[in-house]
Amino acid sequence: MADFNLTLSPSQIEYVLKPGVTIIQAYDVTNNSDYSITLNTQLLPWIPSGTDGSVNYNQAISNPNIEFSLANSDLKIGQPFILNANSKQQIVLKIKTSSNIGLADSYYTFFVFQNQNITNSKETLSQATGKIGSHILLTVSNTENPKVESAIQNFSISPKIKDVFFRPITFNGLVKNNSDFFFKTNGKIYITKNDKTIKVLDLDQNNVLNHHSRNITCQNSSCSLNPPLWPGHYLVKVSLDSSLNATPYETSFYVLPISPILFLLFITGIIFGLKFLKKK
Amino acid sequence: MKTKNVLLFLLLILFLINKKNILAQTFDSTNFHIDFGNFNMTSGKKTSTTYTLTDTVGQNAPGQYDSTGYVVKAGFQYIYDKKIPLSFEISSLDLAFGNLVPNIGSTVTNTLTISTPTGHGYDILAIANHPLKTIGTNSTIADTKCDSGTCSESVSAVWTDAFTYGFGFNANGDGTSSYFTNSTHFRQFADNSLGETAKIIMSENVPVEDHSALITYKINISPLQSAGTYENSINFIAVPKY
Repeated sequence: MADFNLTLSPSQIEYVLKPGVTIIQAYDVTNNSDYSITLNTQLLPWIPSGTDGSVNYNQAISNPNIEFSLANSDLKIGQPFILNANSKQQIVLKIKTSSNIGLADSYYTFFVFQNQNITNSKETLSQATGKIGSHILLTVSNTENPKVESAIQNFSISPKIKDVFFRPITFNGLVKNNSDFFFKTNGKIYITKNDKTIKVLDLDQNNVLNHHSRNITCQNSSCSLNPPLWPGHYLVKVSLDSSLNATPYETSFYVLPISPILFLLFITGIIFGLKFLKKK
Repeated sequence: MKTKNVLLFLLLILFLINKKNILAQTFDSTNFHIDFGNFNMTSGKKTSTTYTLTDTVGQNAPGQYDSTGYVVKAGFQYIYDKKIPLSFEISSLDLAFGNLVPNIGSTVTNTLTISTPTGHGYDILAIANHPLKTIGTNSTIADTKCDSGTCSESVSAVWTDAFTYGFGFNANGDGTSSYFTNSTHFRQFADNSLGETAKIIMSENVPVEDHSALITYKINISPLQSAGTYENSINFIAVPKY
């Protein structure tokens, strides 16, 4: 039974271009299945959706000053081609910007998709088809590192009642991009107590797109502080790379010995209860 | 003075006799040869029947060093990038329901499997070209509204009642819990012919390798449903998180 099994590489490209520049990007499309497949290509603009890296193709408008074409001699965008079983095809995408393009970002996805087969089935049938996409993040700027502005928003620490044992303390927040160009969330969360650093969490280098926000996530782990913790006052500082021009965000929280106190009260209650029963 | 010179000479001889080769690593490709700039005590690949271990012992200043344009990962083998490319698989593309029997739900399944590279989660979206319909007569099997009449292309609900009719699907596996509570919850496919847009059915925010979900397609027809062969096409779209 036929299946769809494609690999598309790279999965994302990010370029800073000067107006009027043309770039070439090669994509490898691999058919990992044991069946040949008829494929096609497509480019769609998108805008970010939500704060976790999803995209929305429905309200996006193509930039008329960016032209996409294929540099392959035998292939055009939208032209079907056959990829044999367990074989690879290189598709070379040409991205051309006009000299009068505005200095801003444009976001697209390069899709490789399966052409729908027309079947004359004798029984009720749904036919599944597949489509796989690779994102293109383009910054058009006259400088290599265009100036960006950012801010840390909605930073929160949970749970509200922080005990020395049991539950990890989790940090959540957003990085807002207040500029026309995307950047990566390069920064750290510092947790200190009595001027001593308890933990430093490195932020994942997620892309924050222009005038949009992205959730803060941490490298190799969740953004959290695991128990046990000493009771006391803790300071939290979120600091982004200086090139992102963000004011560091500072807050604090208290860890209380709630569970030991409850345990002692429980034990005391049992002792007094037993004494009371003995007296009776 | 003479004794000192003799001793120095003997020491030199001893040093030359006992000299050992320095084992540095090199990397070769068709076009390049890189001498490994690392005088560690030992490094390399150790294998047994079950395990492969790569190690570096004695690395000076181990760790990851980032700068614009390059990353140096000194020492630590455990921070290897796995270099997993973006891959998407749909098992079994032809979803044949056989002969449909009124009031008895008919189901077929296939599996979606995805891998994403370092730094990227994924979204898988789904959309149908139109409802299940017969070619020519254009009779349709309507999309299910589930037992409560509340499910849509973006909201799932329980569909177990034999007297609830229509066509819908469930996704059960990695990255589906935000969209389907369990295997009794179904949703409609977004309908392209009505101008609806593809909806996310499976999503994760972290890189994954061979994460999969079982898709169950269900049809339940009423005794009044027109006889015929119904068809449609369902497109699954895999994109990385940016």
